Amino acid sequence: MAVALVIVSHSQQLADGVREIAAQMAGDRVVIRAVGGAADGSLGTNAEAIARAITDADQGDGVLILMDLGSAVLSTETALEMLELNDSPKIRLSNAPLVEGAVVAAIEASVGHTLAEVADAALDAKDMTKLIK
Amino acid sequence: MAETQFIVTNPAGLHARPAALFVRTAAGFQSSIRVRNLSRDVGREADAKSILSVMTLGIEQGHEISIKAEGPDEAAAVDALHALIDAGFNESDAVSTR
Repeated sequence: MAVALVIVSHSQQLADGVREIAAQMAGDRVVIRAVGGAADGSLGTNAEAIARAITDADQGDGVLILMDLGSAVLSTETALEMLELNDSPKIRLSNAPLVEGAVVAAIEASVGHTLAEVADAALDAKDMTKLIK
Repeated sequence: MAETQFIVTNPAGLHARPAALFVRTAAGFQSSIRVRNLSRDVGREADAKSILSVMTLGIEQGHEISIKAEGPDEAAAVDALHALIDAGFNESDAVSTR
């Protein structure tokens, strides 16, 4: 198995889109769950839905969670508290940019790298340059 | 040490999915594998097993690249990566080593 990813966004469509791109990079080797929107389907985040996505993604090799903005982080932290996983070494929250981080993490996870390696690579995506001169 | 130099003919160059496949294939070998883009910045060397590293090379169609491997399976590594690019990155389990 491989490290799994959870994509948390204020929009289910955005989360699904990021998952779609990352999954194409990783093939079927990496479990990627996308969760977005408030409980009523409007823009926002929902700790209970995030908790379900984390539980669903967790296959034993660790889970890296990537979030879009501000309160997505708060809701994810609440979700981890609900699951009593806030101090778990097999769950990491990433400070990486969502799209770049998810793509890099998916590829690194598909190679079979550890959670720490996948998390470090995703974070390095922050400095990734798109305009190569 | 094993080395090969050739022109990338794949229309997408070495970006996105082809780059992912390249890195995954490289990671299946024990040897250390370095890639350079001879058409862009000869001095910059990338680790073939790191997606971020490979993407910074900006490899596009028509660029000449060099793949250098050092280790117990260096010849096989260079051959596999060269063949992968020549085949135009047909995604299949045949080219995936894991």
